[in-house]
Amino acid sequence: MGTFLRILFALVLGLVTTGASADNVDLKILDPWVQAAPPGVKVLAAYLEIKNNGEKPQVLVGVSSPSFKHIGIHRSVMHGNMAHMEHMKELIIPSQSSVALKPGGLHLMLMDAKKPLNVGDPVPMTLAFKNGEKITFTATVRSGQAMDTMNHQHMDHSEHMDHNH
Amino acid sequence: MSKQHFLYTKSNLAVLLVIALSITAFIGWKLSNDPVVKAPAEIEDYLFWQAKELTDFKLVGANDKTLSLNDLKGKWSFVFFGYTHCPDVCPLTMAILGQTFNILEKTPAIFPEIQGIFISVDPKRDTPESLKEYVSYFNDRFIGVTGSITELDSFSRQMSALYTIHANEADQSADTYTVTHNSTVFLVDPQGRLYGRFPPPQNPQEIAGVFLKIHTFYNERSNKKWGLF
Repeated sequence: MGTFLRILFALVLGLVTTGASADNVDLKILDPWVQAAPPGVKVLAAYLEIKNNGEKPQVLVGVSSPSFKHIGIHRSVMHGNMAHMEHMKELIIPSQSSVALKPGGLHLMLMDAKKPLNVGDPVPMTLAFKNGEKITFTATVRSGQAMDTMNHQHMDHSEHMDHNH
Repeated sequence: MSKQHFLYTKSNLAVLLVIALSITAFIGWKLSNDPVVKAPAEIEDYLFWQAKELTDFKLVGANDKTLSLNDLKGKWSFVFFGYTHCPDVCPLTMAILGQTFNILEKTPAIFPEIQGIFISVDPKRDTPESLKEYVSYFNDRFIGVTGSITELDSFSRQMSALYTIHANEADQSADTYTVTHNSTVFLVDPQGRLYGRFPPPQNPQEIAGVFLKIHTFYNERSNKKWGLF
């Protein structure tokens, strides 16, 4: 039960954090997540969607997290079937539109995790914009390809709990 | 009368000759076309025009276990070239390949015939031991190997999977360089020939479905070879 309360608290906290960041700026962060990777992997990727509801374009210039030593803005580019990565100094989010960072394209490259991360772990992150604006939110580690399986597992767990009661 | 009979025979012979030549030409045409029997349209794009014989190679996995051409023979191999410091494309493709194996596991007659091989083209940072840990995260049957630059160059060239290591020019010892690599999943047939490819963007249902069709096509063709042409 203690675990359950802690999870609930984390969820509420997550909602509050996301809500607060959405209130004070024209920028919204949607569905932030970190691709789960094998233990020992030094570089991870994070994905999210940045929505700019304002009248002016916004420029993302930096990303930080207490969980990683360094975070860069990267883009996987395909030339034919050849994949290569490009480092980006900044990322422009035009006004009244959104930019999606997703597998196989734009992503945040997370380098040197301070501790190993498992599926479900929260990763706090801060985006810094050129105009001085900062947005803090929490991404969750998940396996991008196993979403269906994960949802099923969650359902199974809750059913199990009900039976115990 | 006898002359007429002769003429009749001569023209008859000519007709027979034409028929015989046509049959020979047809057989010849059939035989010469056999190696490139047209594949069904739904798998055609995934197959190489002609299966390509591979020459021997030597790559190294965990516990100094080597992987050579012989290890590809007798199995269908799904081969992917990447590196573990690749946070986006590589885990994505490996997860897709892992899910492909989960789907193919539901076909028990074929599942034992397949193997998944991850080849790291970044031998400086990826050790055979670290690769074992990396690949088993996606599927416990996957094999992870790497090798000397010479071996990797030669094998990736035969597989048409070129790669480039972008050394950090400012700092040669830096650990932050990237590698350009082919993100296609290659298919090697049980004779050790480069047979097919799954180019990006891939999805597990597609790879598994197409592979099963390729498998059927391949077996039907080998059976035909030994029966009537």
